[in-house]
Amino acid sequence: MAGSRLEKFGTVFTRVRDLMRSGVVKQSDKPIWYDVYKAFPPKKDPLYVRPVAKIYGKKEEAVPDIFYREDEIRAKFYEVYGTGPRAFDLSKSNFVSTCQRFVEKYMELESWGELEKQSLFEETGKALLAEGLVLRRRSGPVVASETRDPVLGMKLTDMLAELQTDAPGETPTPGEETPTQAPVTPQ
Amino acid sequence: MGVVVQWKLLTRDLMRTTHSMDFNYQSYFFDLQWEGTARASMAAGVLTKGLCGLCQPRIVAAGYSCSGPLYATATAVKTLPLQTDSTAVTDKIQNLPLETSDFFRLSELFSLKDLFDARVHLGHKKGCRHRLMEPYLFGNRLDQDIIDLDQTMEHLQSALNFTAHIAYRGGVILFVSRRRQFGHLVESTAGDCGEYAHTRYWQGGLLTNAPIQYGPGVRLPDLIVFLSTLNNVFQQHVGVRDAAKMNIPTVGVVDSNCNPSLVTYPVPGNDDTPAAMELYCRLFKMTINRAKDKRRQMELLQGLSPAGLTPGSS
Repeated sequence: MAGSRLEKFGTVFTRVRDLMRSGVVKQSDKPIWYDVYKAFPPKKDPLYVRPVAKIYGKKEEAVPDIFYREDEIRAKFYEVYGTGPRAFDLSKSNFVSTCQRFVEKYMELESWGELEKQSLFEETGKALLAEGLVLRRRSGPVVASETRDPVLGMKLTDMLAELQTDAPGETPTPGEETPTQAPVTPQ
Repeated sequence: MGVVVQWKLLTRDLMRTTHSMDFNYQSYFFDLQWEGTARASMAAGVLTKGLCGLCQPRIVAAGYSCSGPLYATATAVKTLPLQTDSTAVTDKIQNLPLETSDFFRLSELFSLKDLFDARVHLGHKKGCRHRLMEPYLFGNRLDQDIIDLDQTMEHLQSALNFTAHIAYRGGVILFVSRRRQFGHLVESTAGDCGEYAHTRYWQGGLLTNAPIQYGPGVRLPDLIVFLSTLNNVFQQHVGVRDAAKMNIPTVGVVDSNCNPSLVTYPVPGNDDTPAAMELYCRLFKMTINRAKDKRRQMELLQGLSPAGLTPGSS
């Protein structure tokens, strides 16, 4: 059966339609899917899109970032407490993690409107402690700063200066002896 | 006399090569009564004998070869006489479903919550994103792309609808996926609905050079369903381009790193999670089975009462 192998021009449907219109493909040889496509076409024509050369420089973001108002609370929570005491169980779809409980409590306290922003964080921690959820503050920063080996900090010029200051009188003595050591030649 | 041989084959383990000549394929015929036109008079070809993936052209002998333990079940032998008034009725059967928008009631098979629970909305990271997938993305959450499930619902509905209509008309559907993790799943899905699968290495001329590789008069698939449009090196599967070349429509699950331009009915969704793949396979299987059952029902009704054909017959 005749066909058109030009996948870069037009869609599958337009090629077959034009082949039939021109008489190359007989009505009896119509493919099974032709009528179905005609009745239920896809939302977007499956045209071939040529690859565009990469655009360098700043281009606007086509896909927006997803951020929620609770993300601020979550960020602060993770910074202060690290990951919560309980691990995430992703197999359950209705699982509520420690962080999520914290966020919900925070939103609840905020909605009451009694406390100020600064103390809200502390109050949430206390409220959860009252409910039985213990949160331990993280001791140090997440990435501990590495202690540099003190040997690497020594500088040669400093060492020499130390030697100079430690023994100021002793250093010239080897120099004095040499001129006095005049060889006495017997005549 | 027009014959089209139809097999139900599955591709199996490539290492076990047994030339099982138990089947005398010429004894299995399927007269397509509703295709009592010139199309059916094209020479028969065993289509999927070549779709085991490992078929070397050298092994092709006497028009049949297998590089693995393929098992085939023959379709029934039907010899119905050609009648002029019956062609009008069969045309009616053929075209009746096209009048309703959701003739097979496929929207009740899945819901947005099902898609969400199966993690269909999870895409790849921002760096892997394909430029052409940007319209289908809902947003980017901490550097991971999230696919818009509202759009996915519409696309999935239209893709399943198309598949159902093709299956209703007796079209050959080929499932393709080069993800080794889901190879067995795809093959068993195809077997369960009586269609074909190709989850192995795709030889270059499989579609474009079919008459030479598999004998003259091979019947090519009428629809190719890609459960992952990428191959193992993260490039677009050759089958997508070849199907467009051979004027075969495609349905494909496109992830955020895939190119949806050549796929006829793209379905933006996750193709990496087992839950998502199982959902797709289940949906396609149910669609095709529904469509085929509906067809059998319509034909039975036609046999009983040629005049009375109600669209609401279930």
